[in-house]
Amino acid sequence: MFDTALRPVHILYGTGALLVLLAGTTLGSYPSYLISLALINVIAAVGLNLLVGNSGQISLCHSSFMAIGAYGSSMLTAMFGLPFWLSIPCAALGAAAVGALLGMPARRLSGIYLALATLAFLQIVQIAIEESADFTGGVRGLDVPKAFFWPSVPVGPRSLFFVVAGACALSIWSAANLLKSKLGREINAARLSPHAAQALGVSVARVKLTAFALSAAYAGLAGGLLSLVVGFVEPNEFGISAALRQLTFIVVGGMGSLAGSVLGALALSGLPELLRSAKEYSDLASALILLASLLFMPRGLVTLWQHLTVRTAHPVARPHRSPAK
Amino acid sequence: MSTSFYLQLLIAGISVGSVYALVALAIVIPFKASGVLNFGQGELATVGAYAALVLIEAGLPYPLVAILVIGVGGLAGMAIERLLIRPIAGAPAFTLVIATFAIGLAIKSAISIHWGDTPHSISGPFGDDPLTLGTLRINPTSLWIVFCTVLVTLLLTGFFRYVRAGKAMRAVALNAEAASLMGIRINGVYRWAWAISAAIGALAGLLVAPVVGVNPEIGQLILRGLVAAVIGGFTSIIGAVVGGISVGLLETFAGVWVGGAMKNLTPFLVLLVLLAFRPQGLFGSREVYRV
Repeated sequence: MFDTALRPVHILYGTGALLVLLAGTTLGSYPSYLISLALINVIAAVGLNLLVGNSGQISLCHSSFMAIGAYGSSMLTAMFGLPFWLSIPCAALGAAAVGALLGMPARRLSGIYLALATLAFLQIVQIAIEESADFTGGVRGLDVPKAFFWPSVPVGPRSLFFVVAGACALSIWSAANLLKSKLGREINAARLSPHAAQALGVSVARVKLTAFALSAAYAGLAGGLLSLVVGFVEPNEFGISAALRQLTFIVVGGMGSLAGSVLGALALSGLPELLRSAKEYSDLASALILLASLLFMPRGLVTLWQHLTVRTAHPVARPHRSPAK
Repeated sequence: MSTSFYLQLLIAGISVGSVYALVALAIVIPFKASGVLNFGQGELATVGAYAALVLIEAGLPYPLVAILVIGVGGLAGMAIERLLIRPIAGAPAFTLVIATFAIGLAIKSAISIHWGDTPHSISGPFGDDPLTLGTLRINPTSLWIVFCTVLVTLLLTGFFRYVRAGKAMRAVALNAEAASLMGIRINGVYRWAWAISAAIGALAGLLVAPVVGVNPEIGQLILRGLVAAVIGGFTSIIGAVVGGISVGLLETFAGVWVGGAMKNLTPFLVLLVLLAFRPQGLFGSREVYRV
């Protein structure tokens, strides 16, 4: 049953990869910049959905881990001259470590208390960035050093696009495998029935902590790439509205579904572009979309897709009417 | 540093803390009644501040403005409860957290689209000239804020203790099902809980507007209000007030003793530590689960 349900998704991913390849080789710099941003959103959404959708923990601070990735990688490059393929993974690891630290108290919290703890963490990261202006540039922001493969080999815009696309593919692939692994099943079990999972020998606390660290790693990766693509980072980019925007991706796409993360992030990344002439409406539109989605489509776009595929593959048996006499 | 300096700081801290206390009260009341924590509560203060701006510019006298602002807040609270919260009541915590956040963001961005981000200044009911009391110089607005907070606290305490609707609210908080079997209309209780909370939020906005200026970021008050509510244990009126004033004092004194960065950081560090070690707050009682 799972195989037949997944196959169309595989085709979708294949087509997506082809489209990205085509886009990277033919499109001009501005469209490919926009697609890069969308792919980075996909990475962030994949990580967030792992934590929120699969392990069932609320997080309002995903954008903070992106900030750690973005600032961490650009500072590593600026101070130690690391190439991006070292600085971004290092920053992502750093984000994962901080995520694990935050996950420690979070193991005991759930619901609104976890929301509060992550909100406090978001504020602390924000204030820390703003106040340590010597390293981070404070509220004025920080210019990100140009990315290079090797000190003498800079990364051109076109190769940067493929770096981002590769990282995005890697994220989707790793998350898909992760969710099918033992750990992935444990993560889902920790959400669906923590008591039963615990009784079956799953350490729910450890699983929740791991989910926190993994999700932070994806966010760190996304943040590092974002800093390269945009070339400039500022603390406002990683505040609560960014965190909510990422939550909108997974709510609109579908909680706990990898396809949902991809779908939601891609669908909504175009929004700021659509509203380019009326930039101030973008927050309002995003909040209204989030609300409408929670009210009318709480399980996300991906359920529409499943509706179509599952219905045709396995017609739902209708209850038999008692034969009329 | 003289005693009067510290006295002045004390008054400033209590006055700032009173605003936080009001926001904390506005958070606690619907949470206690319906179990929904309104993360958009701060934006109701913003609504209150802008309502005050419009009404004062229309030339209305302050007492009338105050009454109308509280009324606008109450209506906004009822509307939010009826249109947005009731359809998803009983949804998982995640849905409610995100939905209330989204409501707040929608209000805030709508306001900033209409009025822009530049702050407008309005004056308090007693002007801006400081009162001089020996060596002390006190802003009358500060005293007015403290007075209003004390008044609201007393009114709420009386309401929950002696008034039928208040007692019904407490009954629903204790056990909604049993309360409804006793003939209490639960939906009515939720509506009034949201109306009262939003009215208090709007009042907080009206009070704080002369101090910080009317701007879309007033909603940021929610963060301090949440810290205060957690300190107070999320359940009691008095806990929320004490929590609010402690946050105000903590912030003010941390700002003087440790520096500006610490002033902003302290409330959140306290919140994280509290959540890690004593999530039921300083005043609350631990929730007991029976399996």
